[in-house]
Amino acid sequence: MARIGVFICHCGENISATVDCGKVAETIGKLKHVAYSTEYKYMCSDPGQTLIKDAIKEHKLTGVVVSACSPRMHEPTFRKACAEAGLNPFLCEMANLREHCSWVHEKNELTTQKAIDIVRTQVEKVKLNSALQPIKVPVTKTAMVIGGGIAGIQAALDIANTGHKVVMIERSPSIGGHMSQLSETFPTLDCSQCILTPRMVEVAQHPNITLYTYAEVESVEGFIGNFKVKIRKKAKSLDEKICTGCGLCTTKCPQKKIPNEFEQGMGMRPAIYVPFPQAVPNRPVIDKEHCTYYIKGKCKICEVVCPTKAIRFDQPDEILDLEIGAIVVATGFDIKHADFFPEYGYGKYKDIIDGLQFERMASASGPTSGEIRRPSDGQVPKNIVFIACAGSRDPAKGIAYCSKICCMYTAKHAMLYKHKVHEGRAHVFYMDIRSGGKNYDEFVRRAIEEDHVNYIRGRVSTVFERDGKLIVKGVDTLLGAQPVEIVADMVVLATAGVANAGAEDLAQKLHVSYDQHKFFAEAHPKLKPVETNTAGIFLAGACQNPKDIPDAVSQASGSAVKVAALFSQDMLTREPLVAVVNRYAPPMYSTCVGCFLCQSVCPYQAIEREEFKNREGKVVKTVAKINEGLCQGCGTCVALCRSKSIDLLGYSNNQVHAEVMALLNEY
Amino acid sequence: MTSLIIRAKELLENKTVQVVIGYEAGPTGVARPAFITDPAKAESLIYDERCVQNLAVYLTKREVKNIGKMAIVATLPVMRSIMMLISEQQLFADNIVVLGISADGKLLDIADNKVMQGYIEKSDLSNPEKYKGLLTEFNKLSPEEKFLYWQKELSKCIKCYACRQACPMCYCTRCTVEVNQPQWIPVKANTHGNMEWHILRAMHLAGRCISCGECGRACPVGIPCHLLTMHLTDQVYNYFKVYAGTSEKMSSVLSTYEPNDKESFII
Ligand SMILES: Cc1cc2nc3c(=O)[nH]c(=O)nc-3n(C[C@H](O)[C@H](O)[C@H](O)COP(=O)(O)OP(=O)(O)OC[C@H]3O[C@@H](n4cnc5c(N)ncnc54)[C@H](O)[C@@H]3O)c2cc1C
Ligand code: SF4
Ligand code: SF4
Ligand code: SF4
Ligand code: SF4
Ligand code: SF4
Repeated sequence: MARIGVFICHCGENISATVDCGKVAETIGKLKHVAYSTEYKYMCSDPGQTLIKDAIKEHKLTGVVVSACSPRMHEPTFRKACAEAGLNPFLCEMANLREHCSWVHEKNELTTQKAIDIVRTQVEKVKLNSALQPIKVPVTKTAMVIGGGIAGIQAALDIANTGHKVVMIERSPSIGGHMSQLSETFPTLDCSQCILTPRMVEVAQHPNITLYTYAEVESVEGFIGNFKVKIRKKAKSLDEKICTGCGLCTTKCPQKKIPNEFEQGMGMRPAIYVPFPQAVPNRPVIDKEHCTYYIKGKCKICEVVCPTKAIRFDQPDEILDLEIGAIVVATGFDIKHADFFPEYGYGKYKDIIDGLQFERMASASGPTSGEIRRPSDGQVPKNIVFIACAGSRDPAKGIAYCSKICCMYTAKHAMLYKHKVHEGRAHVFYMDIRSGGKNYDEFVRRAIEEDHVNYIRGRVSTVFERDGKLIVKGVDTLLGAQPVEIVADMVVLATAGVANAGAEDLAQKLHVSYDQHKFFAEAHPKLKPVETNTAGIFLAGACQNPKDIPDAVSQASGSAVKVAALFSQDMLTREPLVAVVNRYAPPMYSTCVGCFLCQSVCPYQAIEREEFKNREGKVVKTVAKINEGLCQGCGTCVALCRSKSIDLLGYSNNQVHAEVMALLNEY
Repeated sequence: MTSLIIRAKELLENKTVQVVIGYEAGPTGVARPAFITDPAKAESLIYDERCVQNLAVYLTKREVKNIGKMAIVATLPVMRSIMMLISEQQLFADNIVVLGISADGKLLDIADNKVMQGYIEKSDLSNPEKYKGLLTEFNKLSPEEKFLYWQKELSKCIKCYACRQACPMCYCTRCTVEVNQPQWIPVKANTHGNMEWHILRAMHLAGRCISCGECGRACPVGIPCHLLTMHLTDQVYNYFKVYAGTSEKMSSVLSTYEPNDKESFII
């Protein structure tokens, strides 16, 4: 005989404000098989949990229904409490009275009635629950970090320093990411390369880190602790073991006019190139798209000049199979480029550049050797305008969010300009100055007060060219929306930070969610900011949303701890809420007909084939079999199977049927 | 059809197959299925306008399968059924010989499944002409009128499941309606439960029905239940440009996802 205990939570006032919890507890208490029913202000609190534990013992409960919030947060809490009282945790169910009822309805009779009905379904369900045992799976203690920007570097080093192996995958020829392009960094104005390069070298030399550059993730299968990853190592057309990185080839390559990505198109590079002098690894790659040999079939000058004969034109892409236990995604971000701002003349006028181009210009190793010179004629601009929020916080442009870093780097840019061009005038158009962060506001004040940067609060409507000058038209909203017009020599747009190219594709390969802007989604905005919805996959850096270096680095260390915690166990326990294909004693075996339509529908590739053989070893029947390590319990196969041969443990057909019947039947 | 008889005899004599599934004339002259295992009996095979049943339904029956390798007299719907059965792993290509019959009743030379695929691809795969009129009429009805129509028709259903037994794609060893833990579909025949059964059957055949019309033909009380599955055949074609039973490798439209699938039905 079932003896069910029901615990109605007020959730402070979240539930009790619209639901009459007393009446719910009373009504439910009268149902058949309900041995105990009560209400309490906070069930999740320590006294609340004690209430449940005591009731289990005192009333010899065989099942528990906690009627409270969404199971997402507290199901583990209550299941644990039940286990502590000696009840199998899977005999505890939650009825969601908050999201499904109190929050979405007004206070009245019907709302309370709905709450009663929701609880009734769970009472009927829990009667059919069975005591399940957790599943144990082994852990492969090797992490994979995707993306070698500062976030990826930090995560890799932190994990490697806990003694675990790390594989780093970077798709460009060198690690370093955007930070390697920066001149000086806010809020301290220290040289970006100087603080980054040692870290890059450490990655390359760390005994626990294997670095694959010019490589991308081809596919990911498996699950937490047991991912099977295929990596495509793109052919560099070079034997890296022989190449000494002398760079002779790069000086002799006849292709010299390829826009240099690292210099944001402001410089040129050959077809065989090292992206920048401090690159790690410091070995060239051949850009097949632009190499004369790959285009026309002859050239091979690099091969001739290479003193160690390291060039390999026939090198194929290599596919590596890796066994990985945890994944940190650190693929970073990008900024919006040309064609996004026709009204600002970007892409039309040469002297309108973006923030990253300004960084390269201000960088001592950049195309102008650190001098601020406008692209059109190389003159030093006397008047420069910085436009913040170029695209960000502009729902009309489809980007409603704040890119977070632009206020700060714009102040930095204006300052750097003033430090380099003492007599020049710097103007900044801004919407608000967002400078929350340690020493951040002080930094912006310095730009305004010490470096006399002219901050104008207002938006720019257009930028156009007149007599070789750029006319920036906007308004000053602090002067009552008075129109302002500035005649500038150069304009720098702080364009919106956006998701990196290929982020969506990667998210789909990893089965992790992403938002409408293609940024990777965290599992919980407050309490699980480094986790994704897929167990064993974590986030670090700007791939989640635009963020600055300190934030990217902290998050990277956070995800490294998560990985280390995972690797501290030899076996993982998983919830046993998985699908099973039915089996009966011979000669029936199973009602599964082996159509394998479930196999194609399973999003986690969890369905395998199982053969039944007779005594002579002949296969008499082939049926579906679910790998309990891979199955995520999504239930898709259950819905698809026509002969109803699959059931989901914890959500069986019988249980769902009982819930539906509870709603249809009188009580 | 002498060419068919000669071919069947040959296959049985040289032991290429152990059984030929075809049609023969029954005592009253009505065509009935024949399972010929003895070459001498091949003489009784017929093929003419009386032979309408979709014989593919027998290919998954244990009693027939266990005889050995099978040859089957196959019109277009049978060929399409074979493709579906192979793609759903209910039949193996090397276990079957197809005695194809063209639209004008001639024996085709179907050497292998590639040839059969070619033949199917050349054929008109939309719903048969004789049902198109009804389907168009039916489409003109409002949702309420459709509901009333089916309510009236299905109130006659006696849940004999002949429609299911006749369908080559209803090969499940245990049909959902036989599941009683829990009993989703009620056992007794009443309008409400009959509608549940038919909605379920239609959904199970969506994207899998090869438009043979057997289900409707089998119904003892004359319910045109084939119109439901054929209507879904049209819908699936409209959305995904796929007809069932065109190749032995085809994946089921409704259980696979292609990035360029139309998603206009998601609101
Ligand atoms: C103009 C400008 C100025 C800035 N100035 C400052 C500053 O002064 N101070 C500060 O704190 N912050 C500054 N920032 C922000 C800083 O650049 C970022 O915080 C930092 O780069 C984020 O690091 P990340 O590792 O998350 O991403 P990224 O630097 O973008 O690195 C991502 C890496 O992942 C790789 N990758 C991408 N996709 C894949 C894939 N599919 N597979 C494998 N690898 C992949 C990329 O090639 C790249 O190497 C500035 C940003 C801009 C745009
Ligand atoms: S869908 Fe059902 S019948 Fe078909 S293989 Fe899967 S479990 Fe078996
Ligand atoms: S419930 Fe079924 S479809 Fe979902 S992951 Fe498990 S096996 Fe795959
Ligand atoms: S028409 Fe009827 S019998 Fe023929 S395949 Fe479709 S559902 Fe089955
Ligand atoms: S109606 Fe569905 S479950 Fe029943 S036999 Fe047909 S396909 Fe199988
Ligand atoms: S054959 Fe006709 S009466 Fe029998 S179950 Fe099907 S629709 Fe109902």
